[in-house]
Amino acid sequence: MSDGLVQILDGNTFVVSDERGDIEASPTDPTGLFSFDTRFLSRWVLTIDGERMNALSVDDLQYYETRFFLVPGTGTVYIDAKLSVIRQRSVANGFHEELTILNHADKAVDLVVRMDAGCDFADLFEVKDALKKKGRYSASTSGGKLVLGYERGPFSRATEISATARARVDAEGLTFRVRIPAHGEWTTEIHVVTARLGGGQAPREGMDPKRERQRMQRNLEKWLHDAPRLECDSDELKTTYRRSLVDLAALRFSPPIAGGRALPAAGLPWFMTMFGRDSIFTSLQALPFTPELAATTLRALGDWQGVRLDDFRDEDPGRILHEMRYGEMTAFEERPHSPYYGAVDATPLYVVLLDEYERWTGDRALVRELEVEAKAALNWIDEYADLQGTGYVWYKRRNEESGLENQCWKDSWDSISFRDGTLPGFPRATCELQGYAYDAKVRGARLARLVWKDPELADKLERDAADLKRRFNRDYWVEDGEYFALALDPAGRQVDALASNNGHLLWSGIVDKSKAKSVARHLLGPRLFSGWGVRTLAEGEGRYNPIGYHVGTVWPYDNSFIAWGLRRYGFKDEAAAIAAGILDAAQFFGGRLPEAFGGYERPQTKYPVQYPTACSPQAWSTGTPLLLLRTMLGLEPHGEHLVVDPALPSAIGHLELLDIPGRWGRIDAFGRGRVDVGTRKRAARR
Amino acid sequence: MDTRTPHRRQSREVGDQQTATDPTAAFFEALARRGHEPLLDKATGTTRFDVVDGRKTERWLVTVDGGTIAVSRRNVAADCVIRGDKALFDRIASGKSNAVAAVLRGDVDVQGDWRLLVRMQRLFPSSPASLRSAARRKRS
Repeated sequence: MSDGLVQILDGNTFVVSDERGDIEASPTDPTGLFSFDTRFLSRWVLTIDGERMNALSVDDLQYYETRFFLVPGTGTVYIDAKLSVIRQRSVANGFHEELTILNHADKAVDLVVRMDAGCDFADLFEVKDALKKKGRYSASTSGGKLVLGYERGPFSRATEISATARARVDAEGLTFRVRIPAHGEWTTEIHVVTARLGGGQAPREGMDPKRERQRMQRNLEKWLHDAPRLECDSDELKTTYRRSLVDLAALRFSPPIAGGRALPAAGLPWFMTMFGRDSIFTSLQALPFTPELAATTLRALGDWQGVRLDDFRDEDPGRILHEMRYGEMTAFEERPHSPYYGAVDATPLYVVLLDEYERWTGDRALVRELEVEAKAALNWIDEYADLQGTGYVWYKRRNEESGLENQCWKDSWDSISFRDGTLPGFPRATCELQGYAYDAKVRGARLARLVWKDPELADKLERDAADLKRRFNRDYWVEDGEYFALALDPAGRQVDALASNNGHLLWSGIVDKSKAKSVARHLLGPRLFSGWGVRTLAEGEGRYNPIGYHVGTVWPYDNSFIAWGLRRYGFKDEAAAIAAGILDAAQFFGGRLPEAFGGYERPQTKYPVQYPTACSPQAWSTGTPLLLLRTMLGLEPHGEHLVVDPALPSAIGHLELLDIPGRWGRIDAFGRGRVDVGTRKRAARR
Repeated sequence: MDTRTPHRRQSREVGDQQTATDPTAAFFEALARRGHEPLLDKATGTTRFDVVDGRKTERWLVTVDGGTIAVSRRNVAADCVIRGDKALFDRIASGKSNAVAAVLRGDVDVQGDWRLLVRMQRLFPSSPASLRSAARRKRS
C-alpha cells in the first residue's frame, strides 16, 4: 500500500497503521482496526516517557503479521538509542501485539510506557463518505481491562483491551511503569478483541493468539503447496506468480455461513467482503490453480440468491447479489447492503462459473446441488432483466437514492457514452451483458442436458441463445466502425463509442466468426492497445482520458478476459501480446498488479502509471497473472483431458506449469516462447 | 399500519381471521400448510422463533428436512433460535421489515446455526410497496 501505511489482515478483520505501528485516525482517515465493516480502534499510540517512536524498519512477516523496529524519539536528529522497541502484531479476532523494550545501557532504567487507545466505531461507509455518528460512546475499566463501547439502540459494538503485564487502565489507554535491568528486556502482550457490547457474541472467544498464528502459517503453507508449481526462465514471472498466490490467500474471506470455507473477497482493505461480480471473475481466473474458491463462491452466492422483490435492495427472485456489508449503516438501512443486488452481470456469470467449474473439476455433485439456483439465475435473465421487452439484458436501478447507477463492471458515472461523449439515458443494455447472457444460456444448456437431465430446457436455452446471437450481431454492430457498440440506449439506439467491452464479447462467444477479425484488430490497434494493454475506452472518443477510471485506463483484469476471448477465436499471437504487456507491467509493481494504470502510450511513459486507488491487492488484478498463464499455455479442458496449446511471448522463454489440478488428477503443461510480440505490435499498428 | 394480506402465496391459502390481525401467526400457519418448499431444499434442521410479546413469548418451531416443512408450537431446544419482538416479527412476516438488517442491528438475536437463518430468511415475503411498483412497471 502507498503513503507509508502498513496493513495486515485475517478475513475481513484488518489493521492499517503508520510505519511506527501507530493509529491516529480522523473521521475520514483510513487507518485503524476494522472488522465486519466497523472500525474498532481509531487511536493506538505508543509513547515511552512521553516520547513518540521513530521507525527504523518494518518487516511484513506474513499478510496477517508484521513487526515494527522502533526507537524512542522523533527522528529529526541523530539518535544514540539506548532503547530499542519491537512491536510484533498479528491479526486474529481483533489483534494481538507483543511489545518488547530492550535496554542497551549499562544501568537499569525506569520507564513510563503508555498505550493510548480510542475508538470512533465508524462504519466503513462513514470513513469513505465522512458521515457523522448517531449513537452513544462509553468506556469502562474493570478487572484490568479497558472496554470501549458504542451503542445505537440495539446495535452495539465493543473493543476490549487487556495486557499480560500489570497496567494502570484508564478510559484512554494503558500505562505500564517498568524497570528494565542493564542489558535486559521487558515484554508484554496486549490483546485487542472486537466484540459486541455486553459480550453477546464475541466471536471465537478464548482463542490462543499464538496457536491461531501457527494455524494461519500452516494454512498459508498448504495453500502454496497445493497450487501448481511454476518453473520458467523468467524470474520476474516467478515472482509475479508467487505474489499472486500469496495475495489470493490474503484475499480469502470466509463468510459466516460458509462453514470455514473461503471465497475471494474483492480487494484489500476496503472490499474484504462478498461481491458477486468480483468473487465470480476471480474464481474464474483462479480455476486452474485453486478450484475450491469457485465451489465456495457458487455455494455462498447461491445461499444469498434473491427471492423477493425489494426496490431498496434492487432484489429480484433469482438475482445474484452485488455486495454484502455488516456495518451500522447497513444495519439501520441507511445503505442497502444486506445484501445489495444492484449488479446485472453477476447472475449470468454465476451460470458461466458453474459450467466452467464442472468442465475443470468434473464435480457434477455441485452442479446437481445448485440446480435450483442455476435455473433461477437463467430464469432471471428472461423474466427480470429484460426491462424493455426487447430480448436483451438491461439495467436501471430502483433504489434511486443509494443504489448503483451503472450496474455493469464499469460502474462509474461516465463509463457508458456515445462517441461524442453524450451519456445515454436509462435503462441501458451494455454489450458485454448480452455476451454473458448468451454464454450462460449455452453453458446452462450443456448442464441441463448432461447433469440435470432436462433436455427440454436445454433445447429452449440453445434456441434462445442462437436467437440472441443473431439479433445481437445485427443490432450492436457499428457498420462504419466495424466493432460492437458499447450499449443500446432506451430508444434502442447504438451507444457507439469503441471500448474494451468488445474483448469480453469474444470471451463469451457471442461474436459471429466473420466479425471476430475486425474486433481483434481493434483490440490490438492503436486506439485501444497502449503497449501495456487494452484501454477501457479508445483514444479519440469524446470522454477518453488516459487516467479516467473507466474511460481510458488499462485494467489488468479486463485484459486477462480479453486475452481469453482472443484465444477462444484463435487469435493466439494477439492474446500473447496482451499477456506480455500486462506481465511486463506487473514487474514495475513487484509482481502485484494494481487495479488499473494509465492508458498512456507505452513509449511515452516507459513505465505503467498506477491509477491512484485505495485498494491493493485487488482480487481480480491478483487473479490476472493466473488467467494469463492459462491463456498463454492454451489450457482447455476437453472431456476428461486437459488440452495444452501454448503460444508464449518469446521473452518468456521456457515455461512449465506442474501439477495442474482437475478432473484428470494432476497434469503438467510445458511451453516455449515463440511469439514475437514486438513484431505483432508493429503489425497491429500498421 | 397496513394490515393487508402479508404474503402473496398465503392470500390463496389462508382464509382465517388471524391474517388481518396477526401476520406472524398467519405466516407460520401458511408455512405449515405448504408442506414442501423448494427454497429450503438444501436445509435440514430445527429453527425456533421466539416471538416476544410483552411478558409472554410465543414459540414457533419449524422443522425442515430437505425442503419438507413441519411447524409446531413446541418449546424444545433447536439448532437455531431466532428471538425478537412481536411487532418486528409482524413487520418481517408482512414484508415491511428486512430480517437480515434486523439481525445486523441486533433487533433480532440469533443463537446457533446461522446457515438456518440464511435459509429461513428466504421465506419472508416481498415488501408490499415493491410489489405495487412491480405491478405498475408491468402495466406500463
